[in-house]
Amino acid sequence: MERGKVVVERVGGKSKVTRCFCKYPLKFIVPNKVGAAAAADAVWIYTITYGGGIVSGDSIAFDVTVGDGCTAVFTTQSSTKVYKSLGSKSSQQTLEASVGQDALLVVIPDPVTCFSTAKYSQIQNFKLASGSSLLLVDWITSGRHESGEKWAFSHFKTTNRILLDDNEPVFLDTMLLEQESNSSIADRLQDYQAIAMIVLWGPKLKPIQNQIQEDVKKLMSRQFRMPTIGSGFADSKLPKPSFLASCTTFGPQGTGVVIRIASTTTESVYKFLQHQLASMEAFLGASPYS
Amino acid sequence: MECEGEPNEDNAESSTAGPLQLWSQWQLLDSILPTGGFAHSFGLEAAMQSRLVVSSEDLKTYIIHTLENTGSLLLPFVYSATISPNTQSWHNLDKTLNATLTNEIARKASIAQGSALMRVAASVFTEIPCLKTMRAAALSGGVYFHHAPVFGLVCGLLGFDAETTQRAYMFITMRDVISAATRLNLVGPLGAAVLQHNVGPIAESLSIKWMNRGVEEACQTCPLLDTIQGCHGYLFSRLFCS
Repeated sequence: MERGKVVVERVGGKSKVTRCFCKYPLKFIVPNKVGAAAAADAVWIYTITYGGGIVSGDSIAFDVTVGDGCTAVFTTQSSTKVYKSLGSKSSQQTLEASVGQDALLVVIPDPVTCFSTAKYSQIQNFKLASGSSLLLVDWITSGRHESGEKWAFSHFKTTNRILLDDNEPVFLDTMLLEQESNSSIADRLQDYQAIAMIVLWGPKLKPIQNQIQEDVKKLMSRQFRMPTIGSGFADSKLPKPSFLASCTTFGPQGTGVVIRIASTTTESVYKFLQHQLASMEAFLGASPYS
Repeated sequence: MECEGEPNEDNAESSTAGPLQLWSQWQLLDSILPTGGFAHSFGLEAAMQSRLVVSSEDLKTYIIHTLENTGSLLLPFVYSATISPNTQSWHNLDKTLNATLTNEIARKASIAQGSALMRVAASVFTEIPCLKTMRAAALSGGVYFHHAPVFGLVCGLLGFDAETTQRAYMFITMRDVISAATRLNLVGPLGAAVLQHNVGPIAESLSIKWMNRGVEEACQTCPLLDTIQGCHGYLFSRLFCS
């Protein structure tokens, strides 16, 4: 089965898309210039699906190669909608990316929104050469909550793997949300409507890593000040946190940082991403999620 | 010195291997075994302090979700270790689990418990000399001693069948999180015993659901748990390490 392909290489000292092949229903749009910061060397690639979403039975696969010293940004125009499953069919999307030496790959999509009864899985594999950097945002909302659909899809599975030289695995993560007869997805997620994971790896992201760790610690410490410790359940009338985040390191020498978020609104996650990733504008020419 | 252990390989006369195994099993599952399990709350302390768990109903749900997530994420490692209780397999599983436990708090807790269990098992089960040698070789570097593979390895070398081993892993998880609940004053000792018995059938069905899978199937099914456990470092004041 043919796969889509995007190759970014250095041409005349700048990152350029040298190969771009899309296979229906996926389409790539590469604008000439993104953002006002002309000094930044980065290529932005928008992934669009014909029909505005992923239809039951769709299978999308593409490979990305980011050449040495290049910067590539993959994003979406709007949230990826996954439509209801027809005849129990599921849809899937796979991305295989390799990031060259001192290169930077940024994957900053809008969240995935699965409609009622949808079945969807996605796999993203990242092979990172030495000195390369990766910023990955992978997130999902509870569905069309305005229509009352909250965690009403059947099956959602997302796998993210990061491998270093000679295929050494440093990050292997799969999240599976499946509707069960005795335990619905909504039970497991309570009042939270958006779940996000942010992965930061490599030298270009070090300053942001440090800042995010500080900020999340400050933000969350406020949630945990209890007047009396070890005295049983807290007062049930006190509100639960509307934004839960935790930040931890992974990988050899703690080179990677992963942040996990659960939020009662999608907007607060957008705000968090916008605020924390603002300094990426210097590398990318435009600020993510602005 | 390589040690190839096959499940149910009998080191003694087959007529006495069965009942003797029971005594080892009970010892392994008894909370009195000094493996440091009680330093960990599986994120319950953070869940309690953040008001995600504010009632006995919430507590029971939390325990069930913890068991579900243990089943989906860790049972594959227990299973794979127990069906191939040898050095090569153990080292691979240990490395893979280290990359799978992306949450540093969970990772450290797993390493602490696994190291303690390996040390205790090597000292206690002297009829399996390779436990000592495998441990010594691994201590020279490159092995993290994550809990689930060590548990599977020890049970496999002791000759337990794979199903019993996986059930046992779910049992000790349930035992430890309920114990944490009593120490956090969320339930009294008698209430905890009643709760444990009530959750038993659910733990059994979750064990059946998630057992006998390869590690490529390992996944998290309760993302809130990982998020809240990762908050343990932000707690103002804490009883537990995780």
